[in-house]
Amino acid sequence: MDDSIRKLIFKAIDHTISPEDFDRLQDALEQDAEVRTAYLRAVHMSGTLEDLAGESVASEKVNAPVVRSNPNPKRQRGLFFSHVAPAWNWLAAAAVLLAVGGTAFWFGQRNQSSPAERSMVQTEASASPESRIAGHATLRRAVDLQWPADAVRRVEGDVLPNGLFAFNQGVAEIDFFCGATLIVEGPAELKIESDWSVRVLEGRLRAMVPPAARGFIVKAADSEIVDLGTEFALSVGNGNSQVEVIDGEIELRGGEFHEERLLTGDSRILAGEKADTSRLTDIPTASDMKRRHGLVAESRFNNWQTASRELRQRPDLIGYFTAAELSNERFLPNLATHGVASSAFLSGPVGRVSGRFGDLSSGLDFSRPGARLRMQVDGEFEAFTFACWTRIDSLDHRYNALFMGDGYENGEPHWQIRDDGRVMFSVMVDDSQEIRHFSELDRKVVQDAGLHRVYMTEPIWNSSMSGQWLHLAAVFDPARRIVMQYLNGQPVSQHEIVDKFLVTQLRIGPAEIGNWGQPFRDSPWFAVRNLNGTIDELAIFDAALTDGEIRALYEQGKPLGY
Amino acid sequence: MSNLRSDDREQQYDEFVALLARHDLSIRRFVRFLLPSSDGVDDVVQETALECWKKFAEFQPERPDSTADEFIRWACVIARYKAMSWQRDRKRDRLVFREEVIDQLAQAALESLDRQDDERRAVESCLEQLPADQRRLVLSVHSPSESIARIAKETGENARRLYNRVNVLRTLLLNCVEKHLAGEASHG
Repeated sequence: MDDSIRKLIFKAIDHTISPEDFDRLQDALEQDAEVRTAYLRAVHMSGTLEDLAGESVASEKVNAPVVRSNPNPKRQRGLFFSHVAPAWNWLAAAAVLLAVGGTAFWFGQRNQSSPAERSMVQTEASASPESRIAGHATLRRAVDLQWPADAVRRVEGDVLPNGLFAFNQGVAEIDFFCGATLIVEGPAELKIESDWSVRVLEGRLRAMVPPAARGFIVKAADSEIVDLGTEFALSVGNGNSQVEVIDGEIELRGGEFHEERLLTGDSRILAGEKADTSRLTDIPTASDMKRRHGLVAESRFNNWQTASRELRQRPDLIGYFTAAELSNERFLPNLATHGVASSAFLSGPVGRVSGRFGDLSSGLDFSRPGARLRMQVDGEFEAFTFACWTRIDSLDHRYNALFMGDGYENGEPHWQIRDDGRVMFSVMVDDSQEIRHFSELDRKVVQDAGLHRVYMTEPIWNSSMSGQWLHLAAVFDPARRIVMQYLNGQPVSQHEIVDKFLVTQLRIGPAEIGNWGQPFRDSPWFAVRNLNGTIDELAIFDAALTDGEIRALYEQGKPLGY
Repeated sequence: MSNLRSDDREQQYDEFVALLARHDLSIRRFVRFLLPSSDGVDDVVQETALECWKKFAEFQPERPDSTADEFIRWACVIARYKAMSWQRDRKRDRLVFREEVIDQLAQAALESLDRQDDERRAVESCLEQLPADQRRLVLSVHSPSESIARIAKETGENARRLYNRVNVLRTLLLNCVEKHLAGEASHG
C-alpha cells in the first residue's frame, strides 16, 4: 500500500491530520478495500497499544517492568481492554436501568481524553471546543431606544461585548455579569470594559450594586467611582460630570477628590460645573423602568392586536395561528377568515409559555421531541409565503422544524433551520426521483430522496441569540421564479428558481408546525426535528408577499426593545 | 404491572445483560472503527446499549445456537446508526467521516470482528520482539504518562525525528502482525 496513505492513517489516529488530508484519507477509504483493511488494523493496533501502555504504567508502579502484566483494576480503562470482563459495568448499569425504567443511565466509566491527545502532537482538531460568547453584560430592558445610524442595534436579551454601547434616546437597563445594574437615559455613550467596569462618556444613569457586586467601577472624567454598596446616580455630558449617592457609600479615586468617600445624599462635581438643572434622582429607578416597560409593552401588544385583526381578513391568507387564541386545550383555531387550513391539533407535550409581549401574550413551546401542532391544508396554491415569530433556545438537532409537510410530496413545503443556523426552505419538485448531487456547501456528494432544491440563507442564528424573538419569513414565487427569505423584516437571501426546480402546483396536505410527522415511514426510527424553542403567530399565504409587506408584518408584530 | 409481565421483563433483562456483558468489547471495537478518534466511543456505546435494551423485545434470533452471533450483528446495526448520528451532530466542530465511508468501514469492520482477538495477540507478540527502548518509544504516543516530548528531552533527540521513528516502528509492527495472521491462517 502507498506509504503516504499509511502516514495519513497514523496522522488520523494521532489526531494530527489536517482537514485536507482527512478528505484524502476518506477518498482512499471509500475507493480501496485494502486501505480499509489497513486502516482498521492500524486503529485496532493503536487501541491495543493504548491498553498495553496503560498496563505498563500500572505495572511500573508495582515494580514489575513487563509489558504484559496482571491488570490493575484501578488504572485508567483502555479502549480495548479485554482482560477484565466488563460485566460488572453492565450489571450495575442494567440495575439502574430497571430502576429508572430505561430513561437514563450510565454505562461504565467515561474515557479520559486519549493519550495521543496529551502527547506533543496535539493539534487544534483534537481540542474539544466549548462554545463561548464574548460579553460582559446583557441588555435587560429597553424602552424606546433610538440608535445612531452607525451603531450596532441591540435588542433585549442581547449580550453586550466590550466596547462602545451608544444610543440617542430612550432608556436602557443593563445587567453586568458581576451583578451590578445600570439604568441609562439617552443620549448615552458607554464603553463597556469588563464584567466589573464601565466608562461613561455621555449619559445620565443610576447604578445599583448589590453586595455581591461591591467594587463595581464606573469611570467618568478623571475619576473612578467605586461603589461600596447600593445606589448612586451620575450625569455626564458637555464636559460636565456630577455624581450623587442615593443610598449607601461610594469611594472616588483619581482626579480632584481622590480617596474621598461619599455617603447618602452627598454629591460632587467631577468635571465642569453643575449644569444639570434637574436633580439626578429623577433618573428612573428599577421599578419606574418596569412600569414604563409594562406600559409600552401593553401599547405594543394592543397595536399588534389591531393589526392582527386586520390581517386575518386577507383573502389570500391560507392559515393564521397565534398562541394567544389558544382557548381549547387541544385545538388552535385557524384565524384566517377565508383560510382553507384546518384548526391545528396540539399533539404531545406542546407547552404554552409567555410570549413576545411578556405575560400579555403567549407562545407555543416545542422543546420536547413529541411536541407537534398538526393540521390539514387542502387545495392547490400558486405561491407561498410563510412567516412566523420564533424564539430559539438551541438548535439541538441537525434539522429543526418550523413548518413541515408530512410526506414531502410534489409541491409540498419544508421550512426548517439547520444546526449551523441556516434557514432552509424547499418545495418538492419530483418525489419519484432518487438524486445524488454535489453539495457546494457541504463539499460532498449528498443523496436526496426526490428532486428538490433547498434554498438556504447564511447562518442567521448562533447561541448568543438564544431566547431572542426573531421574525422569519420565506417567499416562494414560481411566477417570478424567485425565493426570498427574511429575518426581522430584512431580506437575507434571494435565489432564482431554475427550470429544473420549477414547480407551479403547490400543495400542503397534512403538515406540522414545530416538528415533522412521518406517518409513512417504514421503520420505527424517526428523525428528531422538533424545534427547541417557541413559535407564535405563524401565517401562510397563497401569495408572494413583497419586501414592504414582510417589513410591515415585522414592524406591527415586533416586541418591545426591537 | 402484573407479576407475569414483570417476571417476563426480568427474564429478558437477565438475558440482555448476559449478551451485552459478553459482547461489550466487540461492540466497542466496532464503534471505534467508525469514529475518527476514540472521543465519543463511550457516548456512542452507551447510546447503542440503551437503544438495544429498548428494542430488545424485537430481537428474535433465527436459530438458538447462533444467538450470540446474531446479537452482535443486530447490535452493530444499531451502533452503526448511532455512530453516524453522533458524527452528524458534530460535523461543525470536528473532523468526521462521510456517511459513505462509515458504511464501508462498518461492512469491513463486521467482517473483521472474528479476527480481533487473534490480531490483539499478534500485536502483543510482535511488540515483545522489539528492544526495550523502541518499545517504550512506540508506546509513548499511546500512554497517558509518557510523551515523545519527554523522551526527546531525556535523550536530546529531535522530537520530529522521534515521531518519524514511531511511524517506522508502527509500520514494522503492522507488517509483523500481518505475517502472524497469515501464518496462523495457513497453519490453522
